[in-house]
Amino acid sequence: MDAQTFETMGTVVSLRIGSTARGGAMRDGGLGDGGTRAVTEAAAPDAALAAVRTVFTRWDERFSLYRPDSEISRIARGDIRLTQASAELRDCYAIALDWRDRTDGVFTPHRADGVLDLSGVVKSLAIAEAGEALRGLGLSEWSVNAGGDLLVSGDQSPGQDWVAGIVDPASRHELLASVPLVAPVRAVATSGSAERGEHIWTSAGGGPSPYRQVSVIGLDIVTVDVLATTIIAGGEAALGRSIETFPIEVLAVLRDGSLVATAGLRSGQS
Amino acid sequence: MRARAVSLATLASLSVLAVGWQVGAQANASMQALSAPQAAPATIPAPSAGPATPTPAASAPAVSGPATTSAGSTTTVPTAAAPAPAAPAPAAPAPAARPTGTFTGSSVQTRFGPVQVSVTIANGTITEVTALQLTNDGGRSVAISAQAAPILRSEVLSAQSAKVSNVSGATYTTRGYLTSLQAALDTAGF
Repeated sequence: MDAQTFETMGTVVSLRIGSTARGGAMRDGGLGDGGTRAVTEAAAPDAALAAVRTVFTRWDERFSLYRPDSEISRIARGDIRLTQASAELRDCYAIALDWRDRTDGVFTPHRADGVLDLSGVVKSLAIAEAGEALRGLGLSEWSVNAGGDLLVSGDQSPGQDWVAGIVDPASRHELLASVPLVAPVRAVATSGSAERGEHIWTSAGGGPSPYRQVSVIGLDIVTVDVLATTIIAGGEAALGRSIETFPIEVLAVLRDGSLVATAGLRSGQS
Repeated sequence: MRARAVSLATLASLSVLAVGWQVGAQANASMQALSAPQAAPATIPAPSAGPATPTPAASAPAVSGPATTSAGSTTTVPTAAAPAPAAPAPAAPAPAARPTGTFTGSSVQTRFGPVQVSVTIANGTITEVTALQLTNDGGRSVAISAQAAPILRSEVLSAQSAKVSNVSGATYTTRGYLTSLQAALDTAGF
């Protein structure tokens, strides 16, 4: 399978188009315009990559705190007020606040130093929108992996589910698990300190997370990404609440390297 | 969130109680009384409105050794279930007939999927509530205890026959990507 990659948001996005989709993806796309169909059919992989790249670039330009000229950076500096911000930014903020409420405040866009930081939802929102863009192109078999957070559609090939490997934080070239993503389970996100250090700041209590890595598997990319962050930040209590509240599976690696998992991630489930 | 979970647990045990009493003691009046609160949160419909999936255990409660399980020996009494024993008291036939045994409820539809719960009662007091079945939207069973349990590496799900094409790990940076497993997969065209 051809994987196409590009850099954005300080990481790399990998796009795969499922084998059944190649060449014939537009057959039932319902496009009345024969010309458009011919173009997209012939150039599906390129068009798909361009569409995904466009989505990520737009999100990055608006929401990256690493870009001094981004809208979020201008808000952080006080150049513009939140009430003057674009509808896109305010919508994104509203989503982040909604997740703050749904996680009992563990997940929050309000950084301890007062800076508004929407990066907790930006990447997954970009992945979700990239998925919509691919569907808009008539593609139904694909996977988008942005820095280890994964959203899939359809199957990898006929009769073959997309399979997500969960990396071992202690030995990052080995897998802890490989999980078939069977619909409606479509998304996997992993948070932790394996690569970027303690990039998740805890809102209360301080201290390091009891988890070195947390992977959440579920129905949509925003939920799993937010909850992976939430569990890292909120520890065991957040893990328990997340499992109670959301239809997810969780595989967590404790600081000592031992594992905890929900029942769906056990082999030969009993 | 915690409150909701507790109320959910309470409702689950209440609905099981309702079934248990209906089957065991034919106390239909208490069945009505117990079913009433279920209408409020609407997360759990009445057992009769459960899914079409057959629930063989519901018709015949499995009674495990009457009175061998005393209330004292089974220590884990769920706090959520604590108010439950008091509820049926007015409708219970007589003090002498206080039920003892293990009763299995019908499958109840929740937002996680069908849930089936078994309750152990000793002399009218709930001593244990056990989840028998919980299936999520994906059709895979998950633990109703809502706990992530310790697991050995050898026990973790591993789709041996399937090709892994994507890796999920803590966010890799642009630089980190170059040496990542994902990069290897991308390059290999998996």
